[in-house]
Amino acid sequence: MNIISNHPINATIALAALEQVMDPEIGLNVVDLGLIYQLDFDKQGRRIYVSMTLTTQFCPMGDTLTAAVKRVMERTFGDQEIVVELCFDPPWSQERISEQGKLFLNQ
Amino acid sequence: MSNGYPNAGFRNTPDTAVVPFYLYAAISFLACTILLSLSTESFTQHYFSPQLLAITHGMALGWGTMIILGASHQLIPVLTEKSLFSIRLAHLSFFLAAVGIPLLVYGFYTFNMGWPSKWGGRLVLLAVMAYLVNILYTVKTGKSGNIYSLFIVTAASWLFITAFLGLVLVYNFNFPFLPKDVLTYLPLHAHAGILGWFLMLIIGVASRLIPMFLISKYQNNRRLQLIFLMINGGLIYYLLSYYFQFPYPVLFSGLMIGTALSFFLHYIFRVWQSRIRKKVDQPMRISLLSVAIMLLPLFILLLVSGYRITGGQHSRLVLLYGFLIFFGWMTSLILGMTFKTLPFIIWNKHYHDKAGLMKTPDPKTLMSDRLFMAMGISYLAGFMLFALGIFGGYTSLLKAGSIVMILAAVFYNLNVLKIWRHKPLV
Repeated sequence: MNIISNHPINATIALAALEQVMDPEIGLNVVDLGLIYQLDFDKQGRRIYVSMTLTTQFCPMGDTLTAAVKRVMERTFGDQEIVVELCFDPPWSQERISEQGKLFLNQ
Repeated sequence: MSNGYPNAGFRNTPDTAVVPFYLYAAISFLACTILLSLSTESFTQHYFSPQLLAITHGMALGWGTMIILGASHQLIPVLTEKSLFSIRLAHLSFFLAAVGIPLLVYGFYTFNMGWPSKWGGRLVLLAVMAYLVNILYTVKTGKSGNIYSLFIVTAASWLFITAFLGLVLVYNFNFPFLPKDVLTYLPLHAHAGILGWFLMLIIGVASRLIPMFLISKYQNNRRLQLIFLMINGGLIYYLLSYYFQFPYPVLFSGLMIGTALSFFLHYIFRVWQSRIRKKVDQPMRISLLSVAIMLLPLFILLLVSGYRITGGQHSRLVLLYGFLIFFGWMTSLILGMTFKTLPFIIWNKHYHDKAGLMKTPDPKTLMSDRLFMAMGISYLAGFMLFALGIFGGYTSLLKAGSIVMILAAVFYNLNVLKIWRHKPLV
């Protein structure tokens, strides 16, 4: 799991909030699953860019997951505009799953 | 790292293009188990009988094909990496098949090869054509060089060939024009459907979905290409041998397809070995069981051709072969995969706008685990009793097996109904 951000403190807050968004099929949250690629906070504090991926490009749950990420970010950073972008380069791979996530899946 | 929207314009298939197929299939399965119970005597006689024709087509079309059509409308975007071309065509194929299948089954059951069978066959063929056009246009605009797309397009083409051959046979009953009797052509029609349609589609979908569900790293496109070539090669050899008198059509094609199946089993085994997700749920277990069950009919086929079994024993083994395919391999796969897909489709419908806002239920809780267990146990018991009944010619076992199989279908229907009727909790 490697998440790029220009604001480590806000990124920690955002990731803690995003742990509430679960992939319904796998039962693991989007952070531990490694779906979040990048969190960019603009300097004026008006907009947050979330770059994320899906386990497969045409995942039937894709719309639901991206919408849930947007809602959670809006709730956490109420005064800022949230822009969620899907990114498939590089594509998601199992290596992006966190150690905690791997432990959960190994159970 | 690109920040574009690579799947901009992607549209999820709406549940109206999926769920009606599941509901129709569930009712068909129940109807077929009831027909099975009413026709146990037919399983002690020759395999070409009105009741068996009706049950086989009810299972192949009403149960297997309908659920596969519905599920594929949902899964084709995952496989081809493109939205389904037309929702209207998906609806059209449902309505045409939904009317055509009961007509065809009724026509066979009463052996009325007049208007019920003819109209049933025509409508089924039109439904298949609507599906094929939808798939071709979806794949045409999708990612090129995708092995899964190749499996799906080829499978849909074989379905068209099967439905066309079937309609030709129905017409031949009214105006005999084929040079040989219908029993000569029946295996061609049956195997185009079983191997070309069901096997091709199931291998194409399973080789993509099983690694996804198990979160496995294993992928081997060359192996899948080889499997694709061997199945199609075996099937084409078998079909052409009727015209060109190739030697040992069943044995050679059986060996080619058997080798392809063993490659596929090995593929699934490697997927299983390299999976990250260790805990495997019950629906996935039943689906994996079906992968093993697919070897049983092949064993029977090689037995029949290798030992040149004839007479009553031959007819019994042919019946067992068909039963293992439709009530064994195909049914176990559907019983598992229904509960791996339907709860998520319904969950997505109800909670799409709520995820992230509030706590939503786990999609797996939309189904009943107790009903699933009851279904699994009664299905396995019914399947084994009935298969033993056919093998030994025991009417009492056939009766008992068919009744337990009805129970399995009732549990399945109740669970499907429970998921479909789910009321949003938040």
